[in-house]
Amino acid sequence: MSQPEAPAPLLRVENVSVRFGALLALNRVSLEIQRGEICAIIGPNGAGKTTLLNAISGFYHPYEGRIVFDGTDRTNLSPPDVAALGIARTFQNVALFKGMSVLDNIMTGRLLKMRGSFLLEALYWGPARRQELEHRAFVERIIDFLEIQAIRKTAAGRLPYGLQKRVELARALAAEPTLLLLDEPMAGMNVEEKEDMCRFVLDVNQEFGTTIALIEHDMGVVMDISDRVAVLDYGIKIAEGPPEQVRKDQTVLDAYLGVSHD
Amino acid sequence: MTEILYAVAVAPFKDMVGSPAFLGEVLIGGIFAGLMYSLVALGFVLIFKASGVFNFAQGVMVLFAALTLVGLLERGVPVVAALVLTTVVMVALAFAIERVVLRPLVNQEHIILFMATIGLNFFLEGFGEMVWGANVKKLDIGLPDKSFMVAGMQVNQLELSAAVTAAVLVAVLAVFFQRTRIGRALRAVADDHEAALSIGIPLKTIWIVVWSVAGLVAIVAGIMWGAKSGVQFSLSLIALKSLPVLILGGFTSIPGAIVGGLIIGVGEKLGEVYWGPLVGGAIENWFAYVVALVFLLFRPQGLFGEKIIERV
Repeated sequence: MSQPEAPAPLLRVENVSVRFGALLALNRVSLEIQRGEICAIIGPNGAGKTTLLNAISGFYHPYEGRIVFDGTDRTNLSPPDVAALGIARTFQNVALFKGMSVLDNIMTGRLLKMRGSFLLEALYWGPARRQELEHRAFVERIIDFLEIQAIRKTAAGRLPYGLQKRVELARALAAEPTLLLLDEPMAGMNVEEKEDMCRFVLDVNQEFGTTIALIEHDMGVVMDISDRVAVLDYGIKIAEGPPEQVRKDQTVLDAYLGVSHD
Repeated sequence: MTEILYAVAVAPFKDMVGSPAFLGEVLIGGIFAGLMYSLVALGFVLIFKASGVFNFAQGVMVLFAALTLVGLLERGVPVVAALVLTTVVMVALAFAIERVVLRPLVNQEHIILFMATIGLNFFLEGFGEMVWGANVKKLDIGLPDKSFMVAGMQVNQLELSAAVTAAVLVAVLAVFFQRTRIGRALRAVADDHEAALSIGIPLKTIWIVVWSVAGLVAIVAGIMWGAKSGVQFSLSLIALKSLPVLILGGFTSIPGAIVGGLIIGVGEKLGEVYWGPLVGGAIENWFAYVVALVFLLFRPQGLFGEKIIERV
């Protein structure tokens, strides 16, 4: 009889290195993200956090190592193929479709769920129309969930920064992802907006069971909402574990505060 | 002094009122010319909307489509088969452009993609000439070209069918862009490549779709234009008139391309007929560009364009 195995992680990053010319942005980083957890990735500026996220979502391809999602190797997939597997993301400096309304922005998140023939769509007729309405209903639920009803017709580019971040989260959620990658979802927000965003992240995790990996600088936020924390510094993972443990880790403190050399 | 004022500001309008049937014919001529500009401008708008690329080669695509169609007809291919084949050629062209021009230049500055389309422009012109020859050709796919009288005005059936075709094309494209999956994907790609990739839109498919659609619009424009004035290489020059149309209508607006085309077409015909004699004619040649200049000064986003707000 075999031993009962630990449940397989949703995402396994194995010894991944990413190189830009002579710069090794990620140096043999390994990380496992378990189903249903919120995992925070922290580290000083330039530590390679966004690079890691970009490697996971297919924008960069690792120079060595493997990335396994849900049991399948997806190391060298392109971003659209990664999205098709059920990984959605937001960007550090908000990548919304600025000229489009909030509603249209979120509807784009449904694209992968939509099917249809070119001709029927051109005529906006029959199944194409029905499908459009079904997806519209789903998107309205997300709009209610994130409390952005009032701005649904506004062009995304006109919104204040905090709301743009929320719309970007809505677009990612519209894809019904298994894994949600958030790149600094609370950067540049005031305390109130941060509290809202924290609440949404926790709600998404609990109500939809979405696994979340997020990069965040605000230590208070990280300690509050994450189940596990991974710390990067100069492209190397220097610590990993529950928040309380990471907070006391000497290597982490050194990385953040600097080491005295006397 | 008063005589000049009279000649500029009063006499032309007296002429218009004096012979409404003639005015009507001038207007119809202007509308037809305008729709031709619009059809070319439409191709520009489609590609610009979806990829942010200003496709300098759109005029030549019209020429190329018309040349291909005429060439096939001359070799005895039946009309329907020739239309299907031309469509296949334009779609193949879209695939080739994506593979050879756009894909290697992905993420480059817009100006570089623009330069690439200038290259494409010369390539297509030379290639078309090489394959199909440089003579002026008559394009006749059997569109009715008779005139009939309405309220004392001559109306040409060809012009009428061009108007209807343009109207249908615009309606379909507008709904397609606003309300459908692929339309939304097209707009998304135009707005932000990175974000579009992250939500699963494959860029290359979108580019092929949009260049194919622009190719189809080019076929329609080529047929109408070719039927009216023969297929010749000056077609690609006339197509440059769609630049002022774009400035007037706004680079991202499909209805803008149509309205802009109509304003330019009607404006230059009226100017030519009623004010032309005062300055010795040739108003038709520069009218469009002067209107465009005025718009650039006072309303750079055009009538229907999106105002671009950049936050610093």
